[in-house]
Amino acid sequence: MTIFRSVLKLAAVGTFATMQLAGMAQAEFAAVGNPKPAVILFGPSNDGGWSQAIDEARQKLEDELDMRIPQAEEIPESATAIRPAAELFIERGSNIIIGSAFGYSDTFKELAEQYPETVFINPAGTTNGPNLKSVYGRTYETQYLCGMVAGGLTKSNKIGFVAANPFGLVNWTVNAYLMGARQVNPDAELSVVFTGAWGDPVKERAATEALIEQGVDVVGQHVDTPTPQIVAAEHGIYGTGHHRDLSEFSAATQCSSVWTWDRFLKPEIEKIAAGAFEPAPYGAFLSIAEGGGDIACCGDAVSEELKAKVMAERDAIIAGKQIFAGPLSDRDGTLRVAEGEVLSDGDLWGMDWFVDGVTGQ
Amino acid sequence: MTSASPAAPAAKTRLRLVPLLEPRQSVAEGLRIGIYVGSLLLAVLVSVLLLAGAGVPPGDLGREIMTTAFSSPRALGSVLAQTAPLVVAGLATAIAFRANFWNIGLEGQMILGAIFASYVAIHDIGPESARLLLMAVAAALGGMIWVAGPGLLKIRLGVNEVITTLLLNYVAFNLLLHLLYGPWKDPVSAFPHTEQYEAFEKLPQLGWQNLTWALPLSGLLALALWWAYSFSRLGYLVDLMRSNATMARAVGVPVLGLSVASILGSGAVGGLTGFAIAAGIEGRMTQDFFVGYLFSGVLIAFLGRNHPLGVVVVAFFMAVLMLLGQSLQVFFGVPSALVQLIQAVFIICVAASEFFLTYRMHWRSAA
Repeated sequence: MTIFRSVLKLAAVGTFATMQLAGMAQAEFAAVGNPKPAVILFGPSNDGGWSQAIDEARQKLEDELDMRIPQAEEIPESATAIRPAAELFIERGSNIIIGSAFGYSDTFKELAEQYPETVFINPAGTTNGPNLKSVYGRTYETQYLCGMVAGGLTKSNKIGFVAANPFGLVNWTVNAYLMGARQVNPDAELSVVFTGAWGDPVKERAATEALIEQGVDVVGQHVDTPTPQIVAAEHGIYGTGHHRDLSEFSAATQCSSVWTWDRFLKPEIEKIAAGAFEPAPYGAFLSIAEGGGDIACCGDAVSEELKAKVMAERDAIIAGKQIFAGPLSDRDGTLRVAEGEVLSDGDLWGMDWFVDGVTGQ
Repeated sequence: MTSASPAAPAAKTRLRLVPLLEPRQSVAEGLRIGIYVGSLLLAVLVSVLLLAGAGVPPGDLGREIMTTAFSSPRALGSVLAQTAPLVVAGLATAIAFRANFWNIGLEGQMILGAIFASYVAIHDIGPESARLLLMAVAAALGGMIWVAGPGLLKIRLGVNEVITTLLLNYVAFNLLLHLLYGPWKDPVSAFPHTEQYEAFEKLPQLGWQNLTWALPLSGLLALALWWAYSFSRLGYLVDLMRSNATMARAVGVPVLGLSVASILGSGAVGGLTGFAIAAGIEGRMTQDFFVGYLFSGVLIAFLGRNHPLGVVVVAFFMAVLMLLGQSLQVFFGVPSALVQLIQAVFIICVAASEFFLTYRMHWRSAA
């Protein structure tokens, strides 16, 4: 078993992908002609974060593509719930099914094999195939930029971060956030609390208050609700948001790392309609430049000078600057990225280490 | 009746009626069915009005539901796939409730069941041909271990099992998170679920729609329990104990043994619920496979009156309600909040009908 596992690990370095290489050899996907997308949302469409970002992209696409895009919300990550929702849409004539959760991955894989005429796109998914593509953003880029804002705003040099669950795609935002902060403020330290839930306002409030008691004066986040920002405003400190521009909920928010799904989905839907859908064995892993996200910056508290620095860095990232470039060591001193190299996508997804200056619970 | 004085206008004469409740000694079968059907019709009426208010024409609604949600084999398959785990969850709860043990720890027991089953799968314990059986046995054992503590505390010290079983759900969830973000993280994707079970570690497909053996097995479990409760000495004694434990003990019923058996049985079936989802639906242990089953289980046991076959019927209708909610969203674009409201209307109406089965209501004038 262990051998089997390490083989798998090697085979799946990209790992954005329980990809089945055999499946990839299948014929190219044919054009769907008249595209009829439908969206299956994991959370409520007004969650203020992840699900709402996708819902807003859906509404923009309705306008831009001049079509109605139906959706079903609050579909849990369970095969018994996802499958009928998708099949109802397909029976109804939908030929592009857009998901929203990594827990949809296995079911989408099965559905994609069962319905070869339908294209499946799954933000945050892990499975891919000839008519199935998982998509995620390089959120470390945008969190790095918001980290710069946090680094510039902190007086105590203590920054807090409320995170959902400790694994690759969250850990990289934690690391990038502090790396951004240290770029403008080398003395910055980051205390991170993992709530163990994607959207739990009660735990997020407790975590934020605990961080504030420890003396942090800026709070970043990677959870699905705006709670940490609201708590930051109540305590008169600053914060930065994730998923959407959270300044709508809180005056504390000075920068937000936001999704721009419409920028990816519009050309993608047009490509599918034209028969030019490009399967990707490891899915699409989008940078700012590719529509993966952006920042909503900056709030009133950010000086013109700091804002200029952040925007210049944003331009540099769009032009190709790498965040996790070597030499880079973790907080225990282990070299993670050698001089002159860049962390691979596979290592990003498997990131289970933190840079120097990050303190856990 | 108040007598109207000749001087007062007739409108002042008011007949005030107040209800008088009388517990029913017995309920005729026809009346029982009539009341249930009546409560369902009321729920349909309220729902149609709610939907009409949200802009769904009642005529369209009926046509869509009949043609799309219930007529295709695909739709029936979806409903039955959802029914299977609900049946097992309802049975787990009903076994405990029937013995007056308020087991609110179904989710914890499901988690332990799935953890034990996954342990067998991940560590390749036993030959491939016996793997599924071993996983099921391990799952039952896990559920029993998780309910044993509250059971012991209740029997020996009288500690309220509602609290202990409920709180152990959180302990179990944190154990699950520890495993999924730690040693059992998927080695393929580094995402928080276990690796996929091998083909022989999943319940086989039935070959019709997407149904697995979870469905017939849950039906068999319900039949076995029905037989045990309705025809065996054991069932008779459990019901005797339930209606009056002191009297039962006095006439020599082994109350302690029956309580222990019921509590552990409930935990075992709770563990099997976790197994049914992990091995029968998801093909691995995921982070939130158990979410919602606690309340569904309590509701199903309650509405099914802790009767194994009642549980099956109610579980089926629960599944229909869940799936109907999806089609309402897909076809009419109604928000999911409204769908949940409609589901609640159905449940409240059916639950309230219990009242009319328990009591006969006389209207008396309050003179």
